[in-house]
Amino acid sequence: MAGIWIFAESLEQTKELLSIGSTLASKLGTMTSVFLQGNTGVADDYIACGADEVLVLTALAEDQPLDAYIPVIAAEAQTADPDIFLIAATVRGKDIAARLAARLKTGLCSECIGLKADENDRTIEMERFAYGGAAIQTVVCSTRPVMVTIIPRTFEAAARQSDRKGTIRELPAAPPSASTVLERKPKETEAKDISESRIVVCAGRGIEKKEDLSLVQELAAALGGEIGCTRPISEESHWLPEDLCIGISGISVKPALYIGLGVSGQVQHITGIRDAKVICAVNKDENAPIFGASDYGIVGDLYDVAPKLSDAVKNMKG
Amino acid sequence: MPDIIVCFKWVIDEAYIRTGSSGALDFRSVNYKLSDYDRNAIEAAVRLKEECGGTVTAVTVGTPGATKGLKDALSRGPDKACFVNDQSFDNLEPSQTAAILTDVIKGRLEYDLIICGEGSSDLYAQQVGPRLAEALGIPCVSFVQKLSIDGNRIIAERKVEEGINIMAAQLPALVTVVPDINNPRIPGVKDTLMASKKEVISVTADDLPATYEPALQTVSMTAASMERNCITFPADQAGIQAFVEALAKEGVLR
Repeated sequence: MAGIWIFAESLEQTKELLSIGSTLASKLGTMTSVFLQGNTGVADDYIACGADEVLVLTALAEDQPLDAYIPVIAAEAQTADPDIFLIAATVRGKDIAARLAARLKTGLCSECIGLKADENDRTIEMERFAYGGAAIQTVVCSTRPVMVTIIPRTFEAAARQSDRKGTIRELPAAPPSASTVLERKPKETEAKDISESRIVVCAGRGIEKKEDLSLVQELAAALGGEIGCTRPISEESHWLPEDLCIGISGISVKPALYIGLGVSGQVQHITGIRDAKVICAVNKDENAPIFGASDYGIVGDLYDVAPKLSDAVKNMKG
Repeated sequence: MPDIIVCFKWVIDEAYIRTGSSGALDFRSVNYKLSDYDRNAIEAAVRLKEECGGTVTAVTVGTPGATKGLKDALSRGPDKACFVNDQSFDNLEPSQTAAILTDVIKGRLEYDLIICGEGSSDLYAQQVGPRLAEALGIPCVSFVQKLSIDGNRIIAERKVEEGINIMAAQLPALVTVVPDINNPRIPGVKDTLMASKKEVISVTADDLPATYEPALQTVSMTAASMERNCITFPADQAGIQAFVEALAKEGVLR
């Protein structure tokens, strides 16, 4: 037995991994198997999107965490011996992937951003960021299965195809868990999702007080964009929700225009904006690393520049 | 009173990595630092000790050159350190580090709780903690932003995409922590002086029962280059106007 295995928490994530999985499967001449938690209603959907086999995990008890599935999946992997195991890099997914890799005594490429298979020698070269995003590390795995986690929304989702056939198989129930969930609390405030915004104005450490965020907001409004921030603003000062924190440990944005106000440009932040079309910065330190990563910059105090910039944008747009 | 192990890594400070003219990474002028998230892990361990008593042992795996890291870690409050070092313990991949830690901890160290950072600041693979828990056969709660001990179990707030899961697990257990858990203390002169007097247990490859082969091989490590214009304007009215015109030309002002 062999194949490409897929485990994700949601329908969208699974479809995304199916698009990569199906490509790998056809290249390596093997099949894809997808894990499904509880709800069997979407099994046919997965098959239509490229799954050859759907492995149904029995629903968990209310207080069981998702990692309760680890022994079930590990046992299945020991029998089926998959070639590649793709897992969505959510918080729970990353944890499960590392622990499964430990059980299966194999290597894991965390937060992979690109992978390619060589159909002759069947090796998979995988790319990921290292050193806070300053470097790209390319790895290969010499043990089986090759395990990979992929950050959701890195790739396109698989589309439905007609006339696809697949099998559905139920797996045994998960044993009792070593840890329990006492309570699940939703987020108190749901911030806007800026990962797909066309224009993003980012507040950096150069903003001295919370009230001064209005300067960032005004520029964003003039441009018709949204605001984001760097780690110190959300994690240290708590002036903005962390859903707006751009960087390797936060969200990635890919706007047509990004403007950083008082952003120094640490590599961890730059990694989150590298797919922006035009990167701009306003910073009073001409040696700030952000200028090396920018298309256009203004060397000056944001408190002086930002209002003038907002006016100039309004005039330009008429 | 819990015996706590906290794991840390001494890493290249990425702020010192330069990109050479050929686009290759230039490590010549790098400095090293205590991995960012491990500062939070050490702080979490020391705070639990301040609350509940017990001991804190800081453990690291690396080359003999990582001695500076021991002093840095110990200045942040742990009672002693275990330095697993060998010339061959350079550029380890997560499965190797976890396997080495497993053998060291199993044979030598008492523990009720193991704390790790969510990932290291160099590779950020986020694997060593969860892998170690599996190898030791103990419960694992990763990405924790609040942690307490309640009798013989831990209560941990785990940060997940949609909010928080409050988790419970029996001791012994392992947690990995996110930076939200605390603001690490900055060691003072006295702390640094005290650190050099603390006990350090040295373990070398010869003391370990196995050899540790990598499962992942790094084929290349290249600069994540980005081609940008790097044009700057002065902050006067003309400069701001030229800046806005440049944006208009790019077609991003609509």
